[in-house]
Amino acid sequence: MSGQGAWSRRLIAFVGIVALGFLVLPLLVVVPMSFSSAKALTFPPPGYSLRWYETFFGDSRWMEAMWVSTTVAALSSVLALVLGGLAAYGLRRFTVRGQGAVEANFIAPLVVPAVIVAVALYLGFAKVGLLGTYLGLVLAHTVLSVPLVIMVLGVAIRSFDVRIEQVSWSLGASWFRTMRSVVLPNLAPSVFAAWIFAFISSFDEVIVTNFIAGAYETVPKRMFNELILEINPTITAVATLLIAFTMLALAAVAVMLHRAGRLKDTML
Amino acid sequence: MTRSGYVFIAPLLLLMIAAFNVPLLYMLGIGFWAKGGGFTTEHYEALANAPVYLRVLAGTVRVSLISTLANVALGYPLAYWMRGLSPKGQLIAVALVITPFWISVLVRTYAWIVVLGNAGVVNTGLLWLGVIDEPIRFLYNEVGVTIGMANVLLPFLVLPLFAAMLRIDNRLLQAAASLGAPPRTIFWKVFFPLTVPALGAGALMVFILSLGFYVTPAILGGNRVTMISNLLDKLINEIPRWEQASALSTLLLLFTLAVFAIYRALDRKSAA
Repeated sequence: MSGQGAWSRRLIAFVGIVALGFLVLPLLVVVPMSFSSAKALTFPPPGYSLRWYETFFGDSRWMEAMWVSTTVAALSSVLALVLGGLAAYGLRRFTVRGQGAVEANFIAPLVVPAVIVAVALYLGFAKVGLLGTYLGLVLAHTVLSVPLVIMVLGVAIRSFDVRIEQVSWSLGASWFRTMRSVVLPNLAPSVFAAWIFAFISSFDEVIVTNFIAGAYETVPKRMFNELILEINPTITAVATLLIAFTMLALAAVAVMLHRAGRLKDTML
Repeated sequence: MTRSGYVFIAPLLLLMIAAFNVPLLYMLGIGFWAKGGGFTTEHYEALANAPVYLRVLAGTVRVSLISTLANVALGYPLAYWMRGLSPKGQLIAVALVITPFWISVLVRTYAWIVVLGNAGVVNTGLLWLGVIDEPIRFLYNEVGVTIGMANVLLPFLVLPLFAAMLRIDNRLLQAAASLGAPPRTIFWKVFFPLTVPALGAGALMVFILSLGFYVTPAILGGNRVTMISNLLDKLINEIPRWEQASALSTLLLLFTLAVFAIYRALDRKSAA
């Protein structure tokens, strides 16, 4: 603000920079640590090596966890994207009875604390024999990703002019053709963003997975259980790979949305 | 039109009912189900009569409140500072806030072990500066848990608060200035009141999320800081007491929904 005291302006800038530093500090420390040559977690590392990456890629249990994480994230994100995309379309393009309640139900997994979802799914899945199964894991991750898909695509569909679709119909295109040639190409950046968000949220999920996965190990589940037992520097390598993967995915989303001019309303 | 809308919605709705609503209702039911069959409130009475539950509950609320206050103290100045930056500066700052938001809570929590441990960055630095003689114990107590939680939750406060601050019309502030109000008065009488709904909504959001925190207390608290989630983990996975886990989850759910209702009211006000 103009004319504000120089002293208080400086104080605010100082706190602001400290807060930003506080936010990124963990990431700035973990990355160099993963290249450490030492077993002890000292910072800065005494020397650099790739030994923790070698340990990670050479460990069949980590590779197995990687496979489970990737396939579960791929299946659940696509399922959430398809079902969530259709539902978001239905909610935005039609008047539906009980619209508010239905939408609240789709967003609910984001509001209900994850540990409660974990307890409920544990008990419910135990009852029907889904506990500790791959299918149960995929279904749980799908439910948890749905709110992100609904929110991102809900905004995108609302701001896509319905008259463009109507023109397509009036020119004789079928509903399927309209979707494929008119709606989807226009919504592509948002669909991509929603898919990436759903994928990341599944790939990072730890609480519900820890409760219901049984013998299946995902990368976060293995990380979590190792961290509780002992400090193992291999985790720094896993963490760095996760950071790199997330930043690449987010950068891809940002570029796509920026090209489509939709960066601001999706991110904020 | 109504019927065709449901054609699109039905598949997801069926999945949600089967894999979300029914399990939640089943959990609510277990909390009121007596061993021999029939309705009972004994599981809730057991919760009220066991000091360990009350202690965990009080501890959870305390840690959550402190994390929320720390978030407000750091987040408000950060959002305010970001509002005054150039558009390019704002973009960089928003990117720096959003990136950690998307990175696994596990990774960010883990990093604090490296930062706050006895041989960590903070203790090494303080020892080197001569501020302290022996390392401060940050880990495996409430201090470490609170720092870790505040770090994970900060973006949830800053992003909506910053968005709300951007919506404030600069002409209002200029009008106050042209009427002779000093900067301090403009801030406290004009700017701050306009941000209160967004600040309140953001703080409540952070508080709700803190109540259900699981990963951070488990890792940074060792076995010494137990929050409701970690207790639920024990009741399900270690000493199977499903009825009490259900009762406790139900209470946490009701409390969360009540706070969420207040959040929604404030959020609408701040968007208006």
